[in-house]
Amino acid sequence: MSGKFKVSYREDMALFQTLWVKVWLGILVACMLVSPFFLTRYQLSILNEMGIATIGALGLNLLTGFTGQISLGHGAFLAIGAYTTALLTGKLGIPFVLSLVLSGLMAAILGMIVGIPSLRLKGLYLALGTLAFGFIVEYIIFHWDLTQGDMGMAVRRIGIGGFMMKSERHYFYLITGFAALATICARNLVRTKIGRNFVAIRDRDTAAEAMGISLAKYKVMAFAVSSFYAGVAGCLMAHYQKWIVPGSFDISLSIAYIAMIILGGLGSVLGSILGAILITGIPHLIIYLTDLFKESYPALSGLIVDFKLGIFGLIIVITLLFEPKGLFGMYRRTKVYWKTWPFKY
Amino acid sequence: MLKILEILFNGLSMGAIYALLALGFVLIFKSTGIINFAQGELAMVGAFLCYNFATLMGVPYLVAFFITLIVAAVLGGIVDILFFRKMVGEPMFSTIMVTVGLASILTCIAGLIWGHDVYAIRSPFTNKTAAIGGIVLSQGSLYTIGISVILLVLFVLFFNRSLLGIAMKGTAEDADTSGLMGINVKRIHMAAWAIGALVAAVAGIFLAEQSFVRLVMSHTGIKAMAAAILGGMESIGGAILGGVIVGVVEGLAANYLSGMEIGGFHFGDIKDVTAFAIMIIVLMIRPHGIFGKEKVERV
Repeated sequence: MSGKFKVSYREDMALFQTLWVKVWLGILVACMLVSPFFLTRYQLSILNEMGIATIGALGLNLLTGFTGQISLGHGAFLAIGAYTTALLTGKLGIPFVLSLVLSGLMAAILGMIVGIPSLRLKGLYLALGTLAFGFIVEYIIFHWDLTQGDMGMAVRRIGIGGFMMKSERHYFYLITGFAALATICARNLVRTKIGRNFVAIRDRDTAAEAMGISLAKYKVMAFAVSSFYAGVAGCLMAHYQKWIVPGSFDISLSIAYIAMIILGGLGSVLGSILGAILITGIPHLIIYLTDLFKESYPALSGLIVDFKLGIFGLIIVITLLFEPKGLFGMYRRTKVYWKTWPFKY
Repeated sequence: MLKILEILFNGLSMGAIYALLALGFVLIFKSTGIINFAQGELAMVGAFLCYNFATLMGVPYLVAFFITLIVAAVLGGIVDILFFRKMVGEPMFSTIMVTVGLASILTCIAGLIWGHDVYAIRSPFTNKTAAIGGIVLSQGSLYTIGISVILLVLFVLFFNRSLLGIAMKGTAEDADTSGLMGINVKRIHMAAWAIGALVAAVAGIFLAEQSFVRLVMSHTGIKAMAAAILGGMESIGGAILGGVIVGVVEGLAANYLSGMEIGGFHFGDIKDVTAFAIMIIVLMIRPHGIFGKEKVERV
C-alpha cells in the first residue's frame, strides 16, 4: 500500500486527508471562480442546474444511501421548498435569506411527519408510503387556490440586502456556494456520531437499536435532514427558474434523483455530486445530439421527453445490474487497482 | 338508491381492474419476492398491443385479445431474463429500483412507438349496455368483473393444487432450499413474470375499455399497489378484496367529494388520489394488510 500512515488522531480526523486532495480542491475552486468569465450563458445555466441537483441529491443520499430508507417522494420535498419560498417572498415579502431557511425548515417538518411511519415501515412499505406522499403533495398543489394550480406561480428575483441577482453569473456564484456548503455539511455530518448512527441503522436496524441507538430519533432525523436539503434545493430552483408549475415536481423528478444517487454511488458524498452532474448533464447532451441530427431526422426533437425518462431508467437498471456501488465504487476499485499494481490484492 | 347501486357497480368494475393488477403484483411477489413497480406499465403496454392488433392491423377483437396475451407473456419472460435473473438474492432496495427503472424504460419505448395520443380500442362490447333491474350497466364492466372472478378462482386453484403453483410458493419462501429440492428456480421465476405480465395485459385491455389507451394509464398500476397493500401482499384473496374496496371507495369519493371546496381547496379529480390516501392510512394502521401476516424479525 501507499506510504501514508496516520500517526495522530488529528490527522485521522482531518476533513481533507492528504496534501494532494487539498491541491486538487484548490484548483477546482479556482476553476469554479473564474469559469463564469469564460463560459456562455447556456453553459452556465447547465452548471447552475447541476449545482441545485447536487444539493437535492446529497439530501436523498443521506436518507437512502446512508440511512437506508427508501424514498420515492423526493420531488415532493423539492416542491414544498419551492412553493414555500414562492409564497413567502411573493405574498409576504420576506427576504430571500430568511425564506431559504424557512423553506428548508418547512420541508424538514413535513419530512419528519413522513418519517414517523418509517419506524414501523421498512423497504417496500416505506417506498410506497413516500410514493403516495409525493402524489398527494402534487394533488394538493394542483387543487389549492393558494398555489394557483396548473397556472403555476411566479417567483421573485433574489435580493440579498439590496443587491439584486440579475445575471446567470450571479446565480452561478450563489448556487455553487450553497452546493459547496451543502457538500461540506454532508461530509461532516456523516463522520459525526449522527452519521455513524445512520450507517448503523442502514446496515442492520435491529442490531443498531440493540447497541443503544434510538431508532425513532435517528430515522426521523435522517428524514428531516434529507428534506431540509431538498427544501433548500427546491427554494433555489424556484428562484432560479422564476416560474414554478406543479407538473415539474412529479414522480419523474423523484426518479431522476434516485438515478443520481444510484449512478453516483449509494452512501457516498462524492458519488452524489458525480451523479447529480451526470444526470443533469445527460438531457442537455441528448438535446445537443438531437440538434446535430435535426436536419436528417426532424421528428427526433419531439421525442426528447421520452428519451430522457427512458435513459434514466436504463441508467438505474444498468448500474444496479453491473456496478451496484455506482461511479464511486468504480473510482475506488480503479484506485486500489493502480495502487497495488501489478499485484491483485 | 339506484344511484348508489350504480356507483357501487361502477366502483366494482374499476375495482375488478385494480384486483387484476394487484393479482399480478401478488403473483410476482409470491414467487420471486420482487415488488414489481412496473405492473401498470406492463398493463399499458398490453393495452397498446391490443390496440395495435385490433384497430391498426384489423385483426378480429377476440383473436387480438389472445395474441396480446401471448405477446405479453413472452414480454414478461424476456423482462425476467434481461433484468431479474441477475437480481436474485439482491437487497430489496435494488430490486425495487430495477422495477422502477423498468417502468421508465417501458414508458419510454411505448411513447416512442405509439406516441402520447389517446386511442380507443373498438371491441364487441363498446358502448353496449345491459339493464339489470333498472340499473344500466356497461357490458364491458360486466365482462371485466366476470373475467376477474374466473381468473381469481383459477389462480387460487393454481397455487394450491398445481405442482407449478406449489413450486412457486416454495421458491418465494426460500429460493436456495427449493433449488436443492429439485425445483428449477430460474424457470419458476420466468413463469411467474410471464403470468404476471399476462394478467397485467388483461387488466390493461379492460382498463382501455373503461377509459382509453394512453401512456398515463400506467398510473393505475400504482393505485393497484394500494389494493395489494390493503389486502396484504401475500394473499390472492386479499388482492381481490383490496381492489374492490379501493375501486368502490374511489367511486364514492368521486361522486360525493368532487366539486367540494374548503378554504380555496378544490376537491376535483379526487379519484386520482383516493387510492394513495387509502394506501397511507393502511400503512399507518396495519402495514401488513387485511390478510397479510405480520413479519417477525430475527436478530
